[in-house]
Amino acid sequence: MLYAQAWQPVVSRIPLDATRPKVPDPFERLFLEEYPKVVAIAYRVLADRSAAEDVAQDVFIQFHRRVSPSDERAAGWLHAAAVHSALNLIRGERRRAQRETAHAVDPAQPTGANPERLVVEAESRREVRQALRKLPQRTAALLMLRYSGLSYAEVATALGTKVGNVGTLLRRAEEALRKEVNRATPE
Amino acid sequence: MRHLSDGTLRRIYDEPLALTSLDQAHFDGCTECKARFESIANTAGATATLLSVPGFAPEPAAGLRSVRMRIRTGETARPPRWYERWLDRTSRWRPIATPAIALVLAVVLLTGVTATGLAQSWFRVFEPRTVAPVSVVPSDFAGTGALLDYGAVTWLPDAPTLHQLSDATAAAAQSGLPVLMPASLPKGVTGGVSFGVVSHATGSLTFDAERLRASAAKNGVHVNTMPARINGSKLIVNAGPALLEAWGLSASASEVQMPTLVIAQTRVPTVDSTGATAAELEDYLLSQPGVPPDIAAQIRAIKDPSSTLPIPIPKGLATTEQVQVNGVQGLLIKAVLGAGVVWEGKNGVIYAVGGQLTPDQVLAIARSLH
Repeated sequence: MLYAQAWQPVVSRIPLDATRPKVPDPFERLFLEEYPKVVAIAYRVLADRSAAEDVAQDVFIQFHRRVSPSDERAAGWLHAAAVHSALNLIRGERRRAQRETAHAVDPAQPTGANPERLVVEAESRREVRQALRKLPQRTAALLMLRYSGLSYAEVATALGTKVGNVGTLLRRAEEALRKEVNRATPE
Repeated sequence: MRHLSDGTLRRIYDEPLALTSLDQAHFDGCTECKARFESIANTAGATATLLSVPGFAPEPAAGLRSVRMRIRTGETARPPRWYERWLDRTSRWRPIATPAIALVLAVVLLTGVTATGLAQSWFRVFEPRTVAPVSVVPSDFAGTGALLDYGAVTWLPDAPTLHQLSDATAAAAQSGLPVLMPASLPKGVTGGVSFGVVSHATGSLTFDAERLRASAAKNGVHVNTMPARINGSKLIVNAGPALLEAWGLSASASEVQMPTLVIAQTRVPTVDSTGATAAELEDYLLSQPGVPPDIAAQIRAIKDPSSTLPIPIPKGLATTEQVQVNGVQGLLIKAVLGAGVVWEGKNGVIYAVGGQLTPDQVLAIARSLH
C-alpha cells in the first residue's frame, strides 16, 4: 500500500521574547515606552513641536544621569520633570517672546488650512499659555499632565499625591484656569 | 447618603468605571449630583478646548538616536560627580538618615546656651561662629545605635537638592553666594571648574519616645527613656544654600572621582528647639547608644558649643591646627592624601577649601579667594 503524506504541521518552539523587537538595554526600553508621553506633556505646555522634543530629550539625559531605569518611580520622575521643565520654559520671559514670535502659527499645519482660523487658534493658544503662567506651578502641572493623557494614577505618582485627590485638585485647577482666562479676556 | 464630592464627580467624567457601586447607585437617583456633574463636565469640556493643540506623533527611534549621541558626546550626559552620588545616596537612604540626623544633632547640640528665642517657646540652640575639630573613628557610627529612630523628620517644603550648573553666573544667581576664585591655581589643579548649588532647606525632627522605644526593641539595644520634656519637642534645622566649585573632574570617567580642588561655601546653619533646652537635649542624646563616649566627652569639652561647629576628623588619618584666614580663625586639616581648611567669615558664611594638595597650597588658595 502506498501512502502519501500530503501535509504535516511543523511545530517549532520560539521563545516568546524572540517575537518582539529586541531592546536589551533597560534605558532604551524605558525611552521607547515613555518618550511619546514625555513629548506629549511638554508639547501640551509649549504648543511647539521642536521645543517639546528638546525638553523631552533634556529630561531623558538628566534621567540617565540621576535615576536607574529600573526604579519603580522612573515614569513618574520623567513625567514630573517634563511638565516642570516645560512650565519653567514658558515662564522664562526672553525665550517666551522668541517662541511666541517664531510659532505664532503652527508651521506643521496642512497648507490647505484656513489661514484666518490658524491665526485665531494661535492667538488662543498664546492667551491660554499666558493664563497658565499665572497659575501656581503645581496647579498648571496638574492640568498639563492630565490633559496630556496621563491617567489619574500616573498624575498622582508624578505629583506625589493620592489618586483620590486628583479629581478634586483637577476640578479646582480647571476653575482657576477658567477664571484666569476670563480675567485676561473680559466679555 | 451624602452627595458625591466635586472630586468624585470630576473623576466620573474621565474614568466612569472608577465609581463604587454605592456611589453609582446614589448618582443614578440623585438629580442634584447629576446637575453638578453637568456643570463640572461643561468646565472640563471647555478646558479641553482651551488646552487643545494640533496633533503630533513624535518618533521615539529618532529621539533615542539623538539622546544616545548626546549621552556619548555631551557634557550634560557625563556621569554623576562624586558629590552628586553622595547626595543621591543620602536621599535614597532617607529612613537611615532619620537616626543619622539625630546623631549628627547629638554631635552638634550643646550646653550652656543662651536662649535667643524666635518666640517665647523657641530656643536658638545652635548657630556656629567658629569651628573646632572632633576626632572620630568612622566605624564607631556603624553600630546598632545608628539604627535608632528618634522621631519623624520632615522637610519644609522639600529636602535639599543639588543642581549642577555649567556657568558661574547661574551658580551665583541660584545660590545667592558670590563665586570665589583663587588668585592662581597650583600645578596639580587643571581643567575646567564645575559648579553645584545645594538649595536652602528647613528640616524638622520631632522627638517621639514611642518610635525610639520601638526601634530600640527591634534592634535589640537598650536606650534611656526619653524625658517628657524632650518627647514631642521639635528641632528645626535651617541649612544652605551652599555653592560648590570643583576642579579636576573628567567629563568622561564613569567611576567615582575625587576632585583635585573644591571650594565650598554655605550660609551658617541654625538649629532651634521648641520645648526642650539644648542642655537637656545634649545630656540625653550624648548618653545614648551609638554616640561613642570619647566623642561625647569631646563635645562636652567644647567651651561654647552653641556657637562652635564641630568638624569630624578621622582619628589617625589626619591632624589639625588652628590658622588665620583673612582675619578670622580657621581649622587646617592635614591628611595623607590632601589637606583642607575650614573657617567662618564675618559675614555669616562658612567656607571650606580642600583637595589633593599640600597644607600650604590650600592655605594660599583660601587666603587669595576673591
